Amino acid sequence: MDYSKPNLANQLAADYALGTMRGAARRRMESLMTAHPVLRRAVARWEDQLAGLSAHGASREAMQPSPQVWQGVEQRLFGQPSAAAQKSMHAKGSWWQSILLWRTWSAVASVGALALLLTLGQTSRDGASGAGGPPVIVVLQANPEVVNVAGAVQASFVASVSADGKALVLKPLGDVTMTAGRALELWAVPAQGAPKSLGLVRADAPTTLLRAQFLQGTAALAVSVEPAGGSPTGAPTGPVVSVGKVSI
Amino acid sequence: MVNPTTPDDAQRAALAGLLARVALGDRNAFASLYEATKSTLFAVVMRVAGDRAQAEDVLQDVYVNVWRGARTYDAARNNPMAWLVSVARYRAIDHARQRQHAVITVSAFRSTGHGDGGDDDVNVLDTMPSALPGPAELHEQANDAQTLIRCMKALTPEQRQAISLAYYQGCSHSEIASHLAQPLGSVKSWVRRGLMALQRCMGVPVSTAGGT
Repeated sequence: MDYSKPNLANQLAADYALGTMRGAARRRMESLMTAHPVLRRAVARWEDQLAGLSAHGASREAMQPSPQVWQGVEQRLFGQPSAAAQKSMHAKGSWWQSILLWRTWSAVASVGALALLLTLGQTSRDGASGAGGPPVIVVLQANPEVVNVAGAVQASFVASVSADGKALVLKPLGDVTMTAGRALELWAVPAQGAPKSLGLVRADAPTTLLRAQFLQGTAALAVSVEPAGGSPTGAPTGPVVSVGKVSI
Repeated sequence: MVNPTTPDDAQRAALAGLLARVALGDRNAFASLYEATKSTLFAVVMRVAGDRAQAEDVLQDVYVNVWRGARTYDAARNNPMAWLVSVARYRAIDHARQRQHAVITVSAFRSTGHGDGGDDDVNVLDTMPSALPGPAELHEQANDAQTLIRCMKALTPEQRQAISLAYYQGCSHSEIASHLAQPLGSVKSWVRRGLMALQRCMGVPVSTAGGT
């Protein structure tokens, strides 16, 4: 079947979004959606259309789930809910410190950074463009959680920022293959507030970016997969495939 | 580009922003998202799961899926609340299938007897809870919802009933068939034609709408 045919895609999407598509057909549809943008778009359209039914059917006196639900969610996702999580959630300006990946990757990252300093010598010198002092190296580790996520790629990067903070070279490690119509976008993640776009970056070659100041207020760098041309919303919309903490 | 001009847009942008931060692994944003949406999603899974304990189990799965799937959320394509509701419904439907639970009938859905419409032409939607301002997170959907409700009312009673059973209670084609005591083939056709009629009514461009 040709899933790019709008009519067929529309019928399948309607059946899927309503929920009447079941069992093997449903699982199959889910895997097809990862490969067929037409199907994904059609399903998203139906989800939006049918969402009005939920609004209508909602009960006026809102029912609240018991607190055990949230505790269970935290327990399952982060292991220890309670004390540690609560503390880090309320600590000012440190939400990014609670990013689970960083905890598990930090050791790897430090070792990686050392090793990569050697291989990146050339790139770093290019990026440093004559400024004194050593460049700041940030290793962006591939996010292991996105292996099975639609549109995601396994990608690691090394960013080197010149000592004056004005030039950044982002170098992909290994082969990163992008599907047509998707692009990689680099983000500066501040300790507080929304990530700021640093622009699109190449998957197959180093990208050099020039800004007034890269590292001021930047707690981490992240790379997400976006539509060609970059995020339409100004915030990351696609899977975050790689992230690295800035430690100066 | 996010440029909120109405409370609905602002609400939508806020949820999209939270989802973007959840995608980056922000647990604080995840907690805010949970607080903002839990009662809506709980209502969604309650309708399918039937009892509170089951619904709470399902809701836990839903938010685990939201955390893991936030990276796949595409703000350019999907309304954030619609996406969240879909994650909840899909999980609830899978759960219901695993349990093979009996269909619990909401009294508003009456059988149409032999399917001739006639005197049993019950307007399900009139008997459902009012669309008066509900939880704040539902506001963004108000306009679309009104159009949808109008379009639902324009369907035949059979189509409306079949779609309602599928949407609200997560019924499969065969569950709807046994519930309404109608042939499976008829049910499938009601659902399909009803959905396509809905789509036309809601003004989706014909080029992307399905024919029969």
